[in-house]
Amino acid sequence: MTIIPALHMAGISKTFPGVRALDCVDFDCRTGEVHAICGENGAGKSTLMKILGGSYRPDAGEIRLNGRLVHLTHPRQAADAGISIIHQELSLLPYRTVAENIFMGRELARFGLLDRRQMNKRAAELLRRVGADIDPEGQVSTLSIAMQQLVEIAKALLLDAGILVMDEPTAALDERDAQNLLSLIRGLREEGVAIVYISHRMPEVMAVADRVTVLKDGQKIWTRARHAAPVPEIIRAMVGRDLKDFYPKRPSSGPGKVLLSVEGGANAALRDISFDVRAGEIVGVAGLEDSGKAHLAQALVGDEPLSAGVMRVNGKPVSIRSPRQATAAGIGYLPGDRKRDALALRQSVRDNALLTLRSMAGFFARPQRAALSPAAIDSELRDMDVRAADFGQEIGTLSGGNQQKAIIVRWLAQASDVLVFVEPTRGIDIAAKAAIYQTMRAFADAGRGIVVVSSDMPELIGIADRILVMHQGRIAGELPRGASEEEVMRLSLGIAQQEPREAFA
Amino acid sequence: MSSNAISMEPASFNHRKGLPIAAVLAILSAGFFVVIALATGESAQLSLQGIVGLLQRMVALGLVAIGQTFVILVGSIDLSVAALISAVAVLASLLMQGDPAMILPAIIACLGLCLAVGLVNGALVAYGGINPLIATLGTGLIIQGVLAASFADLQGAVARQFQVLAYGGMLGIPYSVLLLALLALAAAFILNKTLFGARIYAVGGNPDGARLAGIHTERLVLAAHVIASLFAGAAGLYLAARLQSGTPWIGRDGIYDLESIAVTVIGGTILAGGKGGVAGTLAGVLLFASLDASFNMLGIDAFLKQVLRGGIVIAAVAIHAVRYKGHVA
Amino acid sequence: MTPIPQVAPLRPSPKLALNAGLVIFVVLYAAIAVVQPNYLEPGLFMNFLRRAAPLLILACGQLYVILTGGFDLSVGAVATLAVLAASILINGDPDATWAVLGTLYLMGIAVGLVNGLVVAFLKVPSIIATLGTMLLVNGLALAWSGGAARGDLPENFRNFGRLVWRDVWLIGSLPLAVVVLCGFVAIAWWGLNGTVYGKRALAVGDNPRAAELAGTPVAATRIIAFVVSSISAVTTGILLGGFSGVSVNAGEGLELQAIAACVVGGAQLLGGRGSIWSAVFGALSLFALFTLLNLMGLPQALRDSIQGAILIVAVGATMWRNRRRI
Repeated sequence: MTIIPALHMAGISKTFPGVRALDCVDFDCRTGEVHAICGENGAGKSTLMKILGGSYRPDAGEIRLNGRLVHLTHPRQAADAGISIIHQELSLLPYRTVAENIFMGRELARFGLLDRRQMNKRAAELLRRVGADIDPEGQVSTLSIAMQQLVEIAKALLLDAGILVMDEPTAALDERDAQNLLSLIRGLREEGVAIVYISHRMPEVMAVADRVTVLKDGQKIWTRARHAAPVPEIIRAMVGRDLKDFYPKRPSSGPGKVLLSVEGGANAALRDISFDVRAGEIVGVAGLEDSGKAHLAQALVGDEPLSAGVMRVNGKPVSIRSPRQATAAGIGYLPGDRKRDALALRQSVRDNALLTLRSMAGFFARPQRAALSPAAIDSELRDMDVRAADFGQEIGTLSGGNQQKAIIVRWLAQASDVLVFVEPTRGIDIAAKAAIYQTMRAFADAGRGIVVVSSDMPELIGIADRILVMHQGRIAGELPRGASEEEVMRLSLGIAQQEPREAFA
Repeated sequence: MSSNAISMEPASFNHRKGLPIAAVLAILSAGFFVVIALATGESAQLSLQGIVGLLQRMVALGLVAIGQTFVILVGSIDLSVAALISAVAVLASLLMQGDPAMILPAIIACLGLCLAVGLVNGALVAYGGINPLIATLGTGLIIQGVLAASFADLQGAVARQFQVLAYGGMLGIPYSVLLLALLALAAAFILNKTLFGARIYAVGGNPDGARLAGIHTERLVLAAHVIASLFAGAAGLYLAARLQSGTPWIGRDGIYDLESIAVTVIGGTILAGGKGGVAGTLAGVLLFASLDASFNMLGIDAFLKQVLRGGIVIAAVAIHAVRYKGHVA
Repeated sequence: MTPIPQVAPLRPSPKLALNAGLVIFVVLYAAIAVVQPNYLEPGLFMNFLRRAAPLLILACGQLYVILTGGFDLSVGAVATLAVLAASILINGDPDATWAVLGTLYLMGIAVGLVNGLVVAFLKVPSIIATLGTMLLVNGLALAWSGGAARGDLPENFRNFGRLVWRDVWLIGSLPLAVVVLCGFVAIAWWGLNGTVYGKRALAVGDNPRAAELAGTPVAATRIIAFVVSSISAVTTGILLGGFSGVSVNAGEGLELQAIAACVVGGAQLLGGRGSIWSAVFGALSLFALFTLLNLMGLPQALRDSIQGAILIVAVGATMWRNRRRI
């Protein structure tokens, strides 16, 4: 330890209500180094980076930059200290120009007056550097998600930061743009920038990282040089146990009759969608962020209805224009963003579980009777092993896993035929994950069907009976059970139709 | 990037600089005014004097609306402006008591009051995290209550010399119209050409993104509320000059809170913030002034006018709000 | 993501909130009794209830809207419209009373539907939409009446607000308005607790998007809330007509009193928390507060200021409590 690292984080801890997001994590990054952080969703990667970016304050631990102790309480301080972060969520202004976005918060100005000409010129240079052919004076809302991602990267480069953090920078990029980015990263490393690279795409990590750190459940598992960290080791450290008994066993019997089918489905985000879901089947949907996989889920539940094509439930054509119609047709929805889309946080666990039943019941149904009674739902909650001191307690006080289980109970109580399940285990601890997978399997085994949309590839491969891979709003291909991550990725990137070649040389 | 990228924004976003909306709206309003004037035979309305009269109708609402544009651009809203206008008008008459020597001190006191109210509003919204609708409704009510309780029978008047603001002019153009034009230009300049303006748009367009880009978003929200209050104060001073004496209900009777929001939204500034500008707002004000003048030419009864205005406000906000998916409450 | 031990819920349970509203009322009423000891007589207490009835009824209606996360600022204007319309339509003819009552409720329902449809489908924030209908309804009422009280209310109409039965067993006297009040509260209670509507409203107010995705008819839930609120406003107007006769500002300012009442009783602005008892005890507390301030000689006009402060403090306290939880 003779060199003082550009960045040194020691003993970082952070607790959110119900969850210990980071538990005494140490991390460092030297100048001219790419240090990758790997971990599952919810492992604490993003929390760690938000602490480094000054968005969160850690409960414990210290951050040193070139050996100097710093306290980052606002993103501004992090930027001034030479830390530049490319965030996972896009943070652009849709109605402003590309240049205005790149210079957001760092506008070039003389006596408070903007120097637009200079900003446009510098913006054009930065965009060239990231290999993006974008007009700096164009409005951001007219750009594709991938282009917007490149604008984000250009924005981060503006700072000329000593430490550059990239949180899943390639999530929305196609292969060519991703390759450009990787060579850009190598260039920056030559210039002596310390780069923290967060990704769960192993090929990319192998291609650029000098060292690898694995986080799991908020704890650091280990840090190793890349050559000492083969991919299977990383994955084992990320998952923490053997994948085989993590996922439930598949039934030996084949799938039954078709429960749900879509033919030629299309809307603003989807084209040419045809597939079916059979009784007893879990159908996975994979794809990159902008592949349309989330839109597919929303279309199935009528949140963003299909504008063309035929949808059938149990063989009968149905027109689903709203989530209420989907619910009535027997399709249930478990959204990926639970806080925003699934939970009424200030209502009790019981009320959340009863929400759909109550919503579909006749207006004059007595709320204390039969299936609507607290006793009935309490027993279902207990069967699902939802852990709460009292089911009358606000659901917001429960852990993510228990919240998710309560939402599952909501749809089990409604006896839906098909569940559309988005990111079923995002932000959920390992033990609850296994329980949720078991429940999904049991639901399918009872002669019903599940469509599971997930960004977590090992999860999809582990739980799904077959996987539909989406690319640019279409189903690019279908893979049988037991497909490899590489196959899924290749279809996701849309390179399967072209000549097969190695992804990420 | 392949050419068949999907899920793009609608093409209508291509005309990006608020100006086309503003121009279209202004032409429509002016056209409406001309048609009604010709149809009712009131061609005198089309003389220079008539048009100056139309512009003068814009002054009070225009001033409030420019301030409202700032708060809406940062994603907030101000419902306290009506009460503040009353407070300023009352305070001005109370302090001046017809004495020209008190004009300057009264103006300073009024703007000081506005600064204080703006700071309170901004602090409640930006630092207290209180929903701006409720926070500013609350401060508005507090001001209104104090006014009604203390100044219901107010004895006082502004100085005669101060009334020049409303009735004087140069080259046939009233000072009040010049004041509106000057302040509108200043506001447009600030929003379009300065660092501060760029950050106003950043905070409204994406609060989290702005914060991550190192912008102190709270300070900008605070500043926007102060600006809105100061503009409301200018409107209050103008009304005091026009009516010679303020009453505690001058602002509420003019429905300046609701109408300033309506014209801002009609002018293309979105309620979520981050898009819009002063030009559109002024065009919206012109629309309301034209409607107002037209109602007069058509001889529509004052109460019915209120009905029509209420309907137009809802329709106007609805036209813009309905484009957004999602829920409001 | 190690789960940490669950802490006990930090928020007071609804039962506790109910008691809080009740406690505030009891304390305030005790203070009134100190200033004016005869307020403890049953007759004066009944009279207190009678005078509080319009606000109580309005608060119960407003609560429906608040639960779903909205505001209804048009209720004061609707109450005024009811008073003016009644006097114009009945014009002193006692036989017309019942038919006109029906007409009044139809007008109220129409306003509620407009409010609900505009908020639910045109997505105009309710605070703005109902401010708009407030102007609209006020303007209509004034245009119709010509800006001054016109026509006359017959005895049988005014009885709703004025009639008091004497020598009633146990309680001494019983105003008809208190019977109307109890009936309205009972129906409002049933709507929230005897049907699934109450829980739907709470879910919509808490998280409309989640409710929609779970199959809740969000638009219908919102519209019903505004209709109930308008019906309460018409009922209030009918009582006010009996109290104070016809006036063009009969309902002025009542909308904000109703909102402040719900907040005092523990309902949460912007939705998701509250019960019918929040409205009942909140309104009683607020009315007791006004009575007390009156007895102590404070100007009526300060009511606005007090309500404004209540709104800010209530929402600020909620924010502070939420922030402390994170």
